Amino acid sequence: MKKNKRYWKGLEELRNDPEFVKHADREFPEYLPIAESKRNGEDNGGGSRRDFLKMMGFGISAATLAACETPVRRAIPYVVKPVDVEVTIPNYYASTYQDGGDYCSILIKTREGRPIKVKGNDRSKVTMGRTNAQVEASVLSLYDKQRLLGPVANGQPTTWSDLDKNVTSQLRNISSQGGRIAIVSYTVLSPSTQAAINDFISAHPGAQHVMYDPLASDGMLAANKSMFGKAALPTYDFSKAEVIVSFGADFLGTWIAPITYANQYAKTRKVGKNKKSMSRHYQFESVLSLTGANADYRTPIKPSQEGLVIGQLYNLIASKAGGSAGSFTKTAEVPYLQKAANDLLNARGKSLVVSGSNDPAVQMLVNQINQLLRNYGSTISTEQASYYRRGSLASLDRLVSDAKAGRIDGVIFYNCNPAYDYFDAAAFVDAMSKVKLKIATTDRIDETSALATYIAPDHHYLESWDDAEPQQGRFSLTQPGITPIFDTRQAQSSFLTWAGRRETDYYNYLKNRWRQNLLNTQSEETDFDRFWDLSLFNGVLEAPGTTLLTQGQTSDAYASVSIPASVSGVASAINQNYKADATGIELVLYPKVAIGSGRQANNPWLQEMPDPISKACWDNYLTVSQSMAKEMGFETKEGGTGTAKLTVNGQSLNIPVMVQPGQAPGTVGIALGYGRNRAGKVANGVGINAYPFASKVNGNFVYFNTSDIQVASADKAYKIAQTQTHETYMGRETIIQDALLSEYKENPMAGRFEPEIETSQGRKDPKDISLWHGHKYPNHHWMMAIDMNSCIGCGACTISCQVENNVPVVGRKEVINRREMHWIRIDRYYSSDEVEDTKQMEHASANPEVTFQPMLCQQCNNAPCETVCPVLATTHSTEGLNQMTYNRCIGTRYCANNCPYKVRRFNWFKYHDNEQFANVNVAMNNDLGKMVLNPDVTVRARGVMEKCTFCVQRIQLGKLEAKKQGRRPIDGEIITACAEACPTEAILFGDVKDPNSRIAQLLNEEAEDGRAYRVLEEIRVSPNIYYMTKIRNKDQEKTNA
Amino acid sequence: MKTGSHYLVGIYNDEDLLLNAVKSIRAAGVRIYECYTPYPVHNLGHALGYKRSKLPIAAFMFGLMGTILALLMQIYMMGIDWPMIVGGKDFTSIPTFFPVTFEVTVLLSALGMVAVFMIVSDLRPYGKAKVFDLRATDDKMVMAIDLSKNKKVGLDKIKDLLKDSGASEIHEKGY
Amino acid sequence: MEVTSPVREPLITGRRTMHDVTQDIAGRVEDKPTVTWLLALAASMGVLAIGAYAVWMTLWNGIGMWGNNKTVGWAWGITNFVWWVGIGHAGTLISAILLLFRQKWRMSINRAAEAMTIFAVMCAAVFPILHTGRPWLAIYWMFPLPNIFGSLWIDFHSPLVWDVFAIGTYFTVSLVFWYIGLIPDFATIRDRAKGAISRFVYSSLSFGWTGSAKAWERYESVSLILAGLAAPLVLSVHTIVSFDFATSVIPGWHTTIFPPYFVAGAVFSGFAMVLTLMLVTRKVYRLENYITIQHIELMNIIIIVTGSIVGVAYITELFMAWYSGVEYEQYAFLNRATGPYWWAYAIMMSCNVISPQLFWIKKIRTSIIATFILSIVVNIGMWFERFVIIVTSLHRDYLPSSWVMFYPTLYDVGVYLFTFGLFFTLFFLFAKFFPVINMAEIKAILKSSSDNVHKDVKKEIEHKNVEAL
Repeated sequence: MKKNKRYWKGLEELRNDPEFVKHADREFPEYLPIAESKRNGEDNGGGSRRDFLKMMGFGISAATLAACETPVRRAIPYVVKPVDVEVTIPNYYASTYQDGGDYCSILIKTREGRPIKVKGNDRSKVTMGRTNAQVEASVLSLYDKQRLLGPVANGQPTTWSDLDKNVTSQLRNISSQGGRIAIVSYTVLSPSTQAAINDFISAHPGAQHVMYDPLASDGMLAANKSMFGKAALPTYDFSKAEVIVSFGADFLGTWIAPITYANQYAKTRKVGKNKKSMSRHYQFESVLSLTGANADYRTPIKPSQEGLVIGQLYNLIASKAGGSAGSFTKTAEVPYLQKAANDLLNARGKSLVVSGSNDPAVQMLVNQINQLLRNYGSTISTEQASYYRRGSLASLDRLVSDAKAGRIDGVIFYNCNPAYDYFDAAAFVDAMSKVKLKIATTDRIDETSALATYIAPDHHYLESWDDAEPQQGRFSLTQPGITPIFDTRQAQSSFLTWAGRRETDYYNYLKNRWRQNLLNTQSEETDFDRFWDLSLFNGVLEAPGTTLLTQGQTSDAYASVSIPASVSGVASAINQNYKADATGIELVLYPKVAIGSGRQANNPWLQEMPDPISKACWDNYLTVSQSMAKEMGFETKEGGTGTAKLTVNGQSLNIPVMVQPGQAPGTVGIALGYGRNRAGKVANGVGINAYPFASKVNGNFVYFNTSDIQVASADKAYKIAQTQTHETYMGRETIIQDALLSEYKENPMAGRFEPEIETSQGRKDPKDISLWHGHKYPNHHWMMAIDMNSCIGCGACTISCQVENNVPVVGRKEVINRREMHWIRIDRYYSSDEVEDTKQMEHASANPEVTFQPMLCQQCNNAPCETVCPVLATTHSTEGLNQMTYNRCIGTRYCANNCPYKVRRFNWFKYHDNEQFANVNVAMNNDLGKMVLNPDVTVRARGVMEKCTFCVQRIQLGKLEAKKQGRRPIDGEIITACAEACPTEAILFGDVKDPNSRIAQLLNEEAEDGRAYRVLEEIRVSPNIYYMTKIRNKDQEKTNA
Repeated sequence: MKTGSHYLVGIYNDEDLLLNAVKSIRAAGVRIYECYTPYPVHNLGHALGYKRSKLPIAAFMFGLMGTILALLMQIYMMGIDWPMIVGGKDFTSIPTFFPVTFEVTVLLSALGMVAVFMIVSDLRPYGKAKVFDLRATDDKMVMAIDLSKNKKVGLDKIKDLLKDSGASEIHEKGY
Repeated sequence: MEVTSPVREPLITGRRTMHDVTQDIAGRVEDKPTVTWLLALAASMGVLAIGAYAVWMTLWNGIGMWGNNKTVGWAWGITNFVWWVGIGHAGTLISAILLLFRQKWRMSINRAAEAMTIFAVMCAAVFPILHTGRPWLAIYWMFPLPNIFGSLWIDFHSPLVWDVFAIGTYFTVSLVFWYIGLIPDFATIRDRAKGAISRFVYSSLSFGWTGSAKAWERYESVSLILAGLAAPLVLSVHTIVSFDFATSVIPGWHTTIFPPYFVAGAVFSGFAMVLTLMLVTRKVYRLENYITIQHIELMNIIIIVTGSIVGVAYITELFMAWYSGVEYEQYAFLNRATGPYWWAYAIMMSCNVISPQLFWIKKIRTSIIATFILSIVVNIGMWFERFVIIVTSLHRDYLPSSWVMFYPTLYDVGVYLFTFGLFFTLFFLFAKFFPVINMAEIKAILKSSSDNVHKDVKKEIEHKNVEAL
């Protein structure tokens, strides 16, 4: 009911006391001079008018003054200080990132109870404390506005109790009538979750668990099943491999467990004073992948040849290593294949052959090769299985056909999205229409949960309790970094509830399981609570020999898949599926490093992260080879390009074209993970969905399609948002300095470019020439060294920096305007054919060598940007840092012009609290998103210049910590966000004033007579960042295949 | 005509006439109050016995002041008050101070001199002009003689002198 | 060098008497505004309004409205700035240098030229303020003002600070110089004024000038010294503007030849602009008697000279790039001539180096139409010179990874239009309410250089010749 409000001037009026009533008529309280003058009857009230004006004036000026101060909004102090929340001091919680089969052991950094960053957990033997872009960005998905606020029934919000009531009763009905229920999920890495699901299944006879992966490894699982009787992935150890041969497996970027592999791989690539050897890496692939870009020898091959090429390699190996040769159709001479075979044979037991193919026959062959090379037990371990991919597309297939036949009555989608990422989504959707009860645990209404009657939204992983077993005997715990933001519930609890268990709290369930299964695997802790706390603290637990995960329900999936055990059988299988001389255009589907399978598509940080190879963001596109582009008249220039009409399986669509050096002639590629239409404001309508284009090879889905693909120019102009549009480094040796391993062995300075400057006293090293006397750095001097040999260009640093430093996202349009804001970018340079003509030099060769160079503010000691700033907004600190004073900056952009490295970024618009950017820069435009901002770093205003600061906030924090303990900072204690994230530890940061710091020692070894050089040395800005020359393990004659 | 100053105004059509007139009349011991011309007539000042103006000295002094001020300012701000490392340069890097120093010198010198000029020749916004003949700014040369200062020569004598020296008109004017 | 030898062509024709001069020039001020003038003013104010919209949008939304990007931080804005400053050189140069050289022919044009200078500098000043990210702060943070941080001053190492001082000084001194010259003419108008308002206005403007011999004496030494000060000032302004680029590290900017090269360019474009405007004023106000063909010819000669200097500078740049052996330098210039912006370079070359050479031909030199067209062509060329220097140097500098293209937006154009509107509005107001020619100075040379004396002198010479035979 509505009340008529009435306001009193005060209690007096309410009480109607006489004193008040007497003056009630008087507007102004007594103390105002106006009233004064009135009362003592001044002449013509002029006085009062003057006073009035006085007050007006005061009022206005007061208001004006007040306006200068930005009011602090919604600053709520802690009335009672929460335990272990020290305001402004971050807390770290060991936890685990798991998303489908993707795994990373992490530490959650929380400030005042908000997770604001994740970093790698050094205690993990699996990910070695490293991360990648997807993991770094995942923290923003926690604050995604698209998440459901609570349970949903028939599209209407509902309560958990109602939902549970309905769901349980309906489930009971189904199982009582002997109907079938399926739980569909991606790979489940968590033993406890698996147990909860199993409990659900045992409670509902006829229920089954269907596990699949959008980026599947069925082929390998099947092959291993038939070869070793265990449908599990082996555990690779790239760090032991001296020769690595990969057939389309992008193990550094997207294949299975890239963080782990990249870290191991980098160990074999690092060279230095005491280690002058490195692994040799061959890559045979169709689309230029991140891994291919890092290979020493790369050969573009068509997908239709892959099986045969591997067959040939097998024969080459077998002929020497004494295996029975198979009769494979001969393909045309494949460059470097013979060479690869020789190197493999010379490195038996210390080599590794991998393939990204999803065809069991091919994987079979790869296993055979590795066996011949005696790699099992050294670089590959089948004893220690990996569980990253346990899914089987075959079983999902079967589910769809069953559902179509009306044999399925209930489906529970556990955080999976088959309506989008299943290859035959259309069939799936209409099959689902035949299913009575559909439940989803997805955190948003996406393509799949839109079909569901009930949505029981799961927590984000940063709100969840869970555990994981990525590799056999290696366990880790997921603990929440924040209490659930919305009215969500952990899916596991839902399963337990629906299973009708007494214990429905997953936290206790988890604890009990650990008590039962893991407490006794170790000896140091006997008391469970202490064991539990310790495990939580460590985040990981090594329990060799124990295994809690099995292939579970899906293992039977492979019974059906028939794989010939004998080489001859494999050969015939391959011969009938692969062609030596296919002429048609072939389509290759590949995941991008940032977007992957598309699960985190609604994360703007990932959308704007430039693809390591094409440097394009906010889009997927058709990659075509230079030769094809030439004959079809495609051209990609300054981001401008045309669109092509692509026809696959009958239906055709228009898609922008990207001319991609390194693309195998006759093939085109499209990235998966785009074309979401129900992911959220950020991702909807970005790119096109390529999943439907996959094809089948003897009953297995494979990520290419060779059946009549047509590509025609639709010549419509299109702009792709690229952060780098120039391909080569124009032979500028002061920027990129590289050498061959053989050269490096003879001369540690091989490839170094040493400019000299002609002076009146003869030629001089630029270092020795200066107008000025320079400055001393008395206490600290921060420097960075970046090893271009171990930098694989993955871009984890870019995202980590973006999270740490509140770097805004500007969206496709502004990236097209060349205004992206990343503080650290990775420059990707292709080699050009050896030509003298500068114009020719601008074009990459057909299959170029690739060099990655992380580029951030070089913190020059003679910084050109500082000199030109009129208002001293950028100056040098006494610790060698080039500082930005945002509030002093007036935005002349002179500093950016005068920066030789072009690393300064300007706030062209107001990126925060601005409708224009609300849909892309979510971290600065809504209250939920803003929770991710780092309180230690200013959000920059419009019209202000910004740039890398070497994470000065971390330096200050570290120095304070050290000071409190009365000591100097210890080396490695202070580390920049980029160095922290780098999966290959290519970035080394430290204080050269500390003689035993790693950076000081490294530079002592390398700076004068080694690999360390500074970009653009001769312009004498004396940067504080050193780069290590890129060493390629190639033979002397440099040829471009 | 009650006020003390009572003038005799002679008007000439040509600068040469005026020049000769000035010479002859001053020779006759008449003290000329001032001449008014539409444009600067050379040697007129000299004929009237004016000394060279001291404005150049003023200009120089102000300029010198500018130089010193500018240098001191920059050295103080960059090198003493709050030294900051900028591009690895020395705190007090004199070469980079030259441009500003030069500009400030010129500015002060110019403004100072003009100010002096305004003051000494009593020019100011809304300044009242002492006009003897409106055509003095058009095409006539005007000579004004303060009679009160020339009592001993006598009005008629002066009138004759003016007439003889070619004045086209002669009339009295009081201020 | 004394140039009043009678054999010279007369500087003032039509046998004007002193009163005619006053009538011709002050008359324009007193007459009712003509329709053509009103139309012209309306037009330029229209342009001003359109431009104002672009300016508003830029201020409201940010510099993002322009085409600039992460690599090309300066583009149209600074190009326009340098262009306007360049134009702003002729006025003071004409009055100062030519006064020092006792070039009497300057007298009929210096007034308008100086006005043009002042307006041009005002237009130029729009850009440094507008192109900053936070103009509301830039407008005063660039000065060494005491502030709440006590010791927080400005950076005297920065060429932008030098600019502030250079342009500021130049503007102030030019303004003073110009106004001192105006005072006697205001007095003339005051003494002719009929209406009470105009009498009041002009008497207040004329500062109580009487034309006394003493005042004239001081007036002359003041203008002489001001000229002496202004002359090096003119040279310093564009020198310092060129430092913005010369002191940087960007290939194509980092060039010691810039100061003389920029000054020559400035004079070049300045004179062209003066010509454009003078020819219009001359026509509209029928000042053929004061701005004679000889004036135009003399100015065209200066254009040939400066144009050629600029041409030499271009060639020198190319030579130095090759000779230096620095690959970045070499690429920068190769890219200018043959890169994606080759057309800008071509326009610059043909407009600045080739077109002025046509003035070697006397027919063109003395043709009003040709002069008018070429004067505009030259200024187009000079705009492109600045565009080439600024944009094509930036868009491909050291790291190929950051190489980009620059495409202007409508707002870039709009802001440029704004300054045009501003310039012409001011100029038309000046042309109506101020004496466009310095009457006092003209009167001063009437005896020596007008054709009524001239004729008699000619006769004498002929007599002499006859006798000689």
